[in-house]
Amino acid sequence: MSEDKTQKQVSTSILKKRWKKFKTLKRGYYSFIVILILYAVSFILPLFIGKDALIVNYKGEYFFPIFKFYSAESFGQNIQGEANYRLLDKQYKEENSGNWVLLPVYPFSPNENLLSELAGNPPHTPSSAHWAGTDDRGRDVFARLAYGFNIGLSFALIVTLLTYIIGIAIGAMLGFYGGKVDMFGLRIIEIWSTIPFFYLIIIISSILQPNFLLLTFILTLIGWISITYYMRGEFYREKARDYVSAAVSMGAKNKKIIFSHILPNSLTPVISFAPFAIVANIFSLVSLDFLGFGLPPPTPSWGQLMQQGVVNIEYWWLITTPLIAMFLTLLAIVFIGEAIREAFDPKVYSRMR
Amino acid sequence: MHKKLVEIKNLKTYFFVEDTEKQKSLHLEISDPVLMELYKTDKYLKNKVPAKAVDDVSFDIYEGEVLGIVGESGSGKSVTAYSITRLIPDPPGKIVSGEVFFKGKDLLKISFEEMKKYRGNEISMIFQEPMTSLNPVMKIGDQILEAILNHEEISKEEAEKKAIEMLTLVGISSPEKRMKDYPHQFSGGMRQRVMIAMALALHPSLLIADEPTTALDVTIQAQILELMLRLKREREESAILLITHNLGVVAETCDRVIVMYGGKIQEISEVDPLFEKPLHPYTVGLLSSLPNPDLPMEELKAIPGNIPHILELPKACKFNTRCTKAFDKCFEVEPELLEVEKNRFVRCHLYESEK
Repeated sequence: MSEDKTQKQVSTSILKKRWKKFKTLKRGYYSFIVILILYAVSFILPLFIGKDALIVNYKGEYFFPIFKFYSAESFGQNIQGEANYRLLDKQYKEENSGNWVLLPVYPFSPNENLLSELAGNPPHTPSSAHWAGTDDRGRDVFARLAYGFNIGLSFALIVTLLTYIIGIAIGAMLGFYGGKVDMFGLRIIEIWSTIPFFYLIIIISSILQPNFLLLTFILTLIGWISITYYMRGEFYREKARDYVSAAVSMGAKNKKIIFSHILPNSLTPVISFAPFAIVANIFSLVSLDFLGFGLPPPTPSWGQLMQQGVVNIEYWWLITTPLIAMFLTLLAIVFIGEAIREAFDPKVYSRMR
Repeated sequence: MHKKLVEIKNLKTYFFVEDTEKQKSLHLEISDPVLMELYKTDKYLKNKVPAKAVDDVSFDIYEGEVLGIVGESGSGKSVTAYSITRLIPDPPGKIVSGEVFFKGKDLLKISFEEMKKYRGNEISMIFQEPMTSLNPVMKIGDQILEAILNHEEISKEEAEKKAIEMLTLVGISSPEKRMKDYPHQFSGGMRQRVMIAMALALHPSLLIADEPTTALDVTIQAQILELMLRLKREREESAILLITHNLGVVAETCDRVIVMYGGKIQEISEVDPLFEKPLHPYTVGLLSSLPNPDLPMEELKAIPGNIPHILELPKACKFNTRCTKAFDKCFEVEPELLEVEKNRFVRCHLYESEK
């Protein structure tokens, strides 16, 4: 047929269609791009924010301190231990001997004590060098916020992923097999969900030193429950659909029916829910850090900064900057969630007037 | 006549529904020892009464024939067909007793794992709703491939070739391209063609078509029926079990017809005698309720009354509440399914004396 060539029909899967719709929702789409870029950048953050110089040219030789430890003496610096590249940069500029240092854009590390370089007592007010001042131990707040972003978001993503895997698997099992599996499974879940997890975390934190893995593990233990309910309901609904009966009548195996028929059709609610789960998990980590049951010091964390801010309420930047950082991050993710929800909504919003 | 392909004997498929009030008087009524035993062993049935969707149905399907089952909604025609492949949702449904011999093997005695080898491979189904019978998130091609690969151990390329062949056969243009399309890009008639392609991909011996044309408009209906018959003609030994409430479709396509009412077979006949001289009063009613274009202005002769609720089916003849010819005996004794002519069975007291 000649018509076929002129009106070329492109097959678009429902997921592709949704992605296209998502792209048209500017607020969510740009939030997604911004968060994606920021998160990608946060993995190579030492290139932009950090005390280690990217390149040092000393006596015609190139050194890359960002990858390797160099003592101060190897660059002709007159201090003990590791070289301080900010001072080294100043020193070389004064000497004007052809040596040079290429520093990151923001040459401070999150866990670096700056007391020796700054006059007065910490916390120091924000300045052109320290955009968000320093905290009560003389560490740069902006650097801590930036590194805290990576840790917070990574933590939330990992917890969300794990809770989803467990929740989807268990929910699918309950919904698909139903009957006694469902009956006993739900009762076990109900018993499990009555455990007061917040106290559990506090108790565990007081016995063991909490770390990234332990916190991930504990939050995963709680998080999967709500996903299970969603998936169970979806499976109950979808397994009664005609296409499932058709697949059964074709002699499809249970595995095929679960994974290639019901599962892809039941993911809509949990996908729409994912950004909000990420928000919740970021918030959980911040809360735990705030209360002192979170990641161990000196890990840069927003919650820990807020806690400092509450203790030193007169130093306004200690509480406002992490709050603003968290607010913007969560806002962007909520925008993404809103856009995803709308992209997955088959109905266009309308009402009769 | 050809060889028997399927032999169904005394099939009883009941749906157990909750009804506490009726349950109290139920045990007095149960005369069936199998059902009695079932009630004793299965705790699930407590407080439940059986809705006899298919009650003691026996018939044969011969190789190469098109057998129609007609009846109103709720007469048990679909459940009968689904019982052959055991696609009865359990709970609440249960095949209580009976035998379904397919090529000499009793399908009701094998495990569900074994049953899967028959489904799609030996016995395929086409459903009523083409719009919802395809998975919306899977490409058409993948769905046909899956149906093939469920049963045959062949490479993906070979299966793909086969799928394209089937799509060409059912009249879908440029099948290579359409394989990559999703169901929402197909119209209802096209989807039903895809379903047929899927059902016939493995050359089943029996195709069960459950009202395959009901959801389609009339022009497409004719095409789909024509397609099914053409594909059948190409394979002599296979049979079609066509479930419908459309007597026009039956007259056009079937070799034999089973008329069902109230979960029981009321009449079995070859197609032409049935239309020439319907015997059972229900069949007579069905035929006379067809609009006749030759006689304009005539009012439609509907069968009086409604089909009774499945839990309140009459004791003796199931049709006695609506039958115009009912007499005393009809309310007392259930008639037997009797062979009144050759290959002609009727369940009605009116014809008992003739034998």
